[in-house]
Amino acid sequence: MTASERAIKWSYMDHWRSNGPSGPVDQWHSHKTMSAFLKQIKATGFDAIDTFDFRIWQMYGDYGGPAKYQQVVQDHGLERIVNTFHAADYDLRNYAPHLPETHEFILEDFRVTMGRWSEIQLDNIIVMPATLYYDMEPVTEDKLKYTAECWNKVGEITAGYGVRLTCHHEFFSGIQSEADIDTFYSYTDPRYVSLFVDTAQHCIAGVDPVALYNRHAHRVSGFHFKDTRNVATGDDHRHRPDSEIMAPTTGKWFYEMGTPHGLVDFEAMMTAVRDNGYRGWISVEHDKANKQGGDYSESTAVSRWYAKNVLEEIYR
Amino acid sequence: MKDSLRWSYALNQWNVRLDVFVRHEDQQRALKTVSACGFDHVELASGTGRWDNISRPEVILLNHGSHSGFLDFLRRAEVHGVSSMFWDPQAPAEEEEGYAFRTTANPDDHDAIVEWSKPFVDFLAGVGAEQLVVRPVGSAWMTPPLGADGIKVIGDVWNRIGELTSAAGLGLALHYDCLGAVHTAGELTALLEATDPATVGLALDTAEFTVGGIDPVAYYREHADRVTHVHLKDTRYADTGEEYRMPGAESTMLKGGAGRRIERWFYELGTEGGLVDVPGFVAALRENEFGGWVVVESDHGGNPAELAMLNSWYLQHELGVPKR
Repeated sequence: MTASERAIKWSYMDHWRSNGPSGPVDQWHSHKTMSAFLKQIKATGFDAIDTFDFRIWQMYGDYGGPAKYQQVVQDHGLERIVNTFHAADYDLRNYAPHLPETHEFILEDFRVTMGRWSEIQLDNIIVMPATLYYDMEPVTEDKLKYTAECWNKVGEITAGYGVRLTCHHEFFSGIQSEADIDTFYSYTDPRYVSLFVDTAQHCIAGVDPVALYNRHAHRVSGFHFKDTRNVATGDDHRHRPDSEIMAPTTGKWFYEMGTPHGLVDFEAMMTAVRDNGYRGWISVEHDKANKQGGDYSESTAVSRWYAKNVLEEIYR
Repeated sequence: MKDSLRWSYALNQWNVRLDVFVRHEDQQRALKTVSACGFDHVELASGTGRWDNISRPEVILLNHGSHSGFLDFLRRAEVHGVSSMFWDPQAPAEEEEGYAFRTTANPDDHDAIVEWSKPFVDFLAGVGAEQLVVRPVGSAWMTPPLGADGIKVIGDVWNRIGELTSAAGLGLALHYDCLGAVHTAGELTALLEATDPATVGLALDTAEFTVGGIDPVAYYREHADRVTHVHLKDTRYADTGEEYRMPGAESTMLKGGAGRRIERWFYELGTEGGLVDVPGFVAALRENEFGGWVVVESDHGGNPAELAMLNSWYLQHELGVPKR
């Protein structure tokens, strides 16, 4: 079966560490480390990569821009860059979607951002739709409504570039509970705002990602498939700067698909993807895989092994 | 890999110390990595003691109950078999008379070495492997100068073991390495001539040959009829200063303790400055319709998973080997 015949293609989300002569580095360290990264992604059977917005500076500085960087990606046998993740700082003074006075700043950010990316064609620009939980609580219906209004406008901007605005709900973000997610989508315009299901983040927040996906399948524009072994407890979701790093109960939240004792039911998830008729990209992620002795190369190979030998048996 | 050549991957680099590669889930992760890279057979490397539960035949069987139990363990990771196993009778092992130190260069050691080979022959036959890959002689710095019939003496013991492997339906492949007392192309050819072509073959390791000063492509072309097994890896250096003769060359030479202080000799396929003509060598294998296993190694190179992935990329994209 060729790539064009498959219903599902696999993209790899840009997280990486390796050890070089100068110590631990990520793939953006040099052209050599980037080449090694792309070779490893391709060798194990991924079709493409996702990246972060903040990498665009290295794309311009080191490669001459997104189009030229994408050519490097293609030279290694990968198809393209599928999605970018817009990792904003969510400073309450100028970047808080639940505060209408910051919306114009956010809109301008996306006008500029989309222009920068316009030389290549992305599928999605992924955002965390709310500020950090500790900066948004108490989460009220009004705040959810203001937040939805913001992203409706942003989505209209990105749609003008042929790119879907899609929301990724971290367990430490202001919109992470099942009820708040449902309310948020009830206020957003399906034409402009999509849902990007991160299997581990929802599990950590105590939300069943399969049920969530089934309820919102018509609005889902992509996935991060990764696993976790822990559910957030107490005030795990309230730690500065970022509970993925600072939550007191858990030093390492994320694991590659197929990890022992993983909480995500990937077989049920893939069955739901099939039954909802989803066609397109699934992104694989295992951010911070190197923590506690983990290894990105091995996690990447093991996750692609799992996709091929377990998930593709369900749907491909 | 789906190819007219048969590709396997060596697990040696994962098992760098006796207790680091013991938990079955760690072994499964390595096997899945190899599988994800497109390899469905592996080469094992001999070890010793209760921790070497993927290296020492008796310990493998204790852990998995039977040959088929071990194969089931491999198949859980979609690795479908064992191509081969490497054994160095010069490396002391608990199971071999309590770490007895013996060498193929000494005829008085031959009976014991033949006896030591039997667990490997039985195990490899039991798991359906094809080659017992052996270090034919110890390091040059540890071996007295080979006398007039020194190479013949070494050949004698391998002929005896070759009869055992042949009777068990296996091949026996002598693996040249860059530290060995059989060092030059002439000495290696003499060793091949001292062994029975019907039962004893050569395991040609492209990087070891290159470090040792033998052109692997040229040697293969001249001796293709004797090459029954291949280890494919690259190097950036040749041992131009006879560093292999330094005392403790395993450390002084190969770990950069002395001489030119080169800490890493072996590299993945496609490495910058690699000395091995990998495309030329593989083309020569194809021209000769090589029917043995081509085992790719991360041996002494670095992160084994990373190197397996880089090697897989090279095979797929530089050599055009289809993965599936």
